[in-house]
Amino acid sequence: MDDRAIGGPGSLGPLDSLGPPGAKREPGLLRFGRHEFPPGRLLVMAIVNRTPDSFYRPGLTWDETAAMERVHTVVAEGADIVDIGGVPAKPGAEVTLDEEIGRTVPFVEAVREAYPNLVISVDTWRNEVGRAACIAGADLLNDTWSGWDPKLAEVAAECGVGLVCSHTGGQHPRTRVFRRVYADVMADVLNRTLTLAQRAVQAGVDPSRILIDPAHDFGKNTWHSLEISRRLADMTATGWPVLVSVSNKDFVGETLGAGVEDRLAGTLAVTSVAAWLGARVFRAHHVVQTRQALDMVAAVKGDFQPARVLKGLV
Amino acid sequence: MIIRAALCPCPPILAREVTGRDPVVSGMREACAEVTARLVEVGPDVIIVVGPAAETAGWDSASRLDLSAIAPALGGSGTPGLPLSLGLGVLLLDQAGYSGPRVLQAVGEHEPAPRCTELGDKLSASAARAALLVMGDGSARRSPAAPGHLDERAAPFDAQVERAIRDGDLAALIAVDAALARDLMATGRPAWQVLAGAMGTGQPITEVLYADDPFGVAYLVAGFEVAPNGAGQAGAS
Repeated sequence: MDDRAIGGPGSLGPLDSLGPPGAKREPGLLRFGRHEFPPGRLLVMAIVNRTPDSFYRPGLTWDETAAMERVHTVVAEGADIVDIGGVPAKPGAEVTLDEEIGRTVPFVEAVREAYPNLVISVDTWRNEVGRAACIAGADLLNDTWSGWDPKLAEVAAECGVGLVCSHTGGQHPRTRVFRRVYADVMADVLNRTLTLAQRAVQAGVDPSRILIDPAHDFGKNTWHSLEISRRLADMTATGWPVLVSVSNKDFVGETLGAGVEDRLAGTLAVTSVAAWLGARVFRAHHVVQTRQALDMVAAVKGDFQPARVLKGLV
Repeated sequence: MIIRAALCPCPPILAREVTGRDPVVSGMREACAEVTARLVEVGPDVIIVVGPAAETAGWDSASRLDLSAIAPALGGSGTPGLPLSLGLGVLLLDQAGYSGPRVLQAVGEHEPAPRCTELGDKLSASAARAALLVMGDGSARRSPAAPGHLDERAAPFDAQVERAIRDGDLAALIAVDAALARDLMATGRPAWQVLAGAMGTGQPITEVLYADDPFGVAYLVAGFEVAPNGAGQAGAS
């Protein structure tokens, strides 16, 4: 547990001081590091956990050599972004600030050295970790815990990196949803993510480096996660680029009655729906399959050229 | 009369746009471009495009390939209903930068040989210096993976056509069996016979630039030169 409780949902100040959170923008280029991605380009963010106890294949890349091996693999498989995390989302043994920095920052440095141009994201809610990671070469701060630490946006601004603005329904970092209800979950998601995005812009984060993320399973039961999947167009219609992180999550498992090792088909189905509805970044364990699913959706949309078309045409 | 002629295949994949990221048949396209450029170079009064279609008909010379009929996502401003063979021929002319007069002539797939040669003769007589671009393919039953699966008769059939073209043997083209050609899905048959009719009684000098069947369909790219003066064989008048 993070016991600092720096911020949390109450620390944003009144919404009306920030202007209407529903304010729309035109979809435009996404910028990370030196890269620019146009709206039609769907990006795979590969998960690389520097943890011994994440929910999916715990400890798989706990070892640094294994983690670097995973980076080599996902880059070869076509990942556009790697997302490095040092603290699992689920409750568990405390990971201190120093411990989190030790798990992630030297590794970010090593990845940056191996891949000067790769987009590196760091999954953290703590501003101190964010700052150290940016100095080590990170391009994006994936704030899965929804602005719990308000200073993280300031760090993103100071370092000139990107920021993910997510929704957790006010959950304390590393806690599980418990009987949470919403009058309208998508309205809450929009309100929170757009407020965070606006606050980030006010703090000085480049708007073309900001993503919004409904954060499936975070502060949401399975019905809520299905609802935000169904209504994802409400988010994409804002013009802010949307990131979705659905890979192997519990709402997929509960929907299909599938254990954590049997959620790939469900993951790809939700991935495809999200892509169809306009999401642009997809956080994933399975890079090859996700890339294929996204390419297929993009081809159906008319945004991606088929590899080789001969059927009926020779 | 016809002063120079060319034969090109007309599968939809001739259009680069439709094959996706892989160009697939670059060599064939290059050969088509080369042989079409030769027609333009000779400076004809008109280029006549002949291609097989459901019905014999002339088409407006401003017609363009309707790419959206092949690949709706590619859209475009083509002419609805224009037979593929003519559309692809027009595409070759445009790609060669030809902007002179053109005549687009579809020849019906069921037209018997005499009607085809007669049409060829008429086309030849329509201009003093005409070039002819003939679109048409051999059998589509050359392998188990071919569009029409394997038919053992396909290989000898195509070999015979190829020989006739290499030798400039117009009589052999006119003699191609229409029923067998239909069985073998050799859609080029009426167009070859228009070509034979248009070249008249002479024996043209031919050059085959490409002959292959990468997908079980026989593709042939060839150029035809009217025999030089003194040979006394060229011309239909």
